[in-house]
Amino acid sequence: MVKRNVAVVLAVIVALGVIAWAGVVNYRKRKAEEARAKQPVIVLSKADAASAGADEPPPFKNPLENKQAPAFTLKDINGKKVSLADYKGKAVVVDFWATWCAPCKVEIPWLTKLHDQYASQGLVILGISEDDLDADDKAALFKEKREIAESAQKLGINYPVLIDDAKVAEPYGGVDQLPTTFYVDRSGKVVAATIGLVDRDEIEANIKKALGNGEQAQKGES
Amino acid sequence: MGSIVRAVAILALLGANLAPTQKLPWESGEPNNEKQFVKFLYPEQVTIAANNESVVELHFTVSPGFHINSHTPREKSLIPTQLIVAEPAGLTVRTVDFPQGEDFALTSFPNEKLSVYTGEFVLRAHVKAQAGEHLIQAQLRYQACDAMSCFPPRKAPVAVGVIAK
Repeated sequence: MVKRNVAVVLAVIVALGVIAWAGVVNYRKRKAEEARAKQPVIVLSKADAASAGADEPPPFKNPLENKQAPAFTLKDINGKKVSLADYKGKAVVVDFWATWCAPCKVEIPWLTKLHDQYASQGLVILGISEDDLDADDKAALFKEKREIAESAQKLGINYPVLIDDAKVAEPYGGVDQLPTTFYVDRSGKVVAATIGLVDRDEIEANIKKALGNGEQAQKGES
Repeated sequence: MGSIVRAVAILALLGANLAPTQKLPWESGEPNNEKQFVKFLYPEQVTIAANNESVVELHFTVSPGFHINSHTPREKSLIPTQLIVAEPAGLTVRTVDFPQGEDFALTSFPNEKLSVYTGEFVLRAHVKAQAGEHLIQAQLRYQACDAMSCFPPRKAPVAVGVIAK
C-alpha cells in the first residue's frame, strides 16, 4: 500500500514537473515572440517600413547596378559648377535629398561624419537637392536657393550641395523617393544604391565598397 | 471649432470660361500620373441653400503607413497640405477649415514632432452659390512620407457637384 502511494506521489510529481517545464518553455517562447514584435523601427530595415498594412512600394532594384554612373554637371549652392567627372579616381556618394524630407535629415549627419572619416581615403559626397525651384521667377528662385543653402548649413553639411536642374534625376532612375543614394567606385561604376533611410552601418559598408576596401573588395569582388 | 485651423486656401479663382483643352493653372507643374497617397472619398454631390454660406465637408484618406504634412507644419521647409480650387461661375469658396495635425516623430528623432494627417481627415469648405448646378473642381496638394522615405509633392483630384436651391 505504501509502495503504491509512493508511486502515485511520484507520478503526480513527475506530471507536475512536466507541466511546469512546458509552462516555462511556453513562457519563454511567448516572451521571445513579444520581444520580436516589439523590435523598434530604429532597426531601419525596409521590413520595418512604416507600419503594418502599409501600401509598400515594390522592392527597390538598383537601376544602375554595375553600370557607369551617368555624368552630370550642376551648380552648387554657391553657383560653382561641379561635375561628377571632376572626381575621377575617387569614390563618390551621390545622395539625392530635399529640404522637406525628414528621413534625409536623419541620414545627412551620418554622411557628414562618414565624409570626415573617409575623405582622406578618397571619399567624396555630393548632395543633390531635389527641391522644387521656380525657374520662371527670379526672386522666388533666389529665395528657394537660399533656403536650400540655409538648410544645408543648419544640417552641418560639409560636402558640396548641388541643385538639380531636373535633368539629373532621370538618368539615375527617376528618383521619386528620398533619400536615394548611389555609391560610385573609383572607376566610375555604381557599386551600390539605397532608397529611403537605411542603417548607418549599411551606408558605411557601401562607402567601403566604393572605396574598394569593403569586405567584398577584399575578396576581389569589387 | 477650437481645433480647426481656418485658412484661405483658394489659390486659383477662375471663371468657367476656359476653353475645353486649356489647362488650368494648377494642372501645370507636378505631373499627376504617379501613385497617389491621398484619395478624395466623398461627397460626390451636395445640395445647399442658394445664396447662403454653407459648409461642405470634404473627406480624404491617407494610405495606410503614410502621413502627409498638415496645413500648418512646424518647420517652414516642410510642404503644407493645401486645397487648390477652381471656382465655377456663380459659386465661391470663401474659406477652407483644415483640421489640426497630429504629432508624429521619426524613431530616430523622437523629440522632433511633425504635424501630420494620417488615416481619414476632413476639410470644411465654406461655399456660397447661386441657384443652379455647379461643379467644384479642386486638387489637394500634399507631400507624403512613410517612416523611411518621402515622395515629392503630389495633387489628388477632387470633384464635387453642388446643387443650390
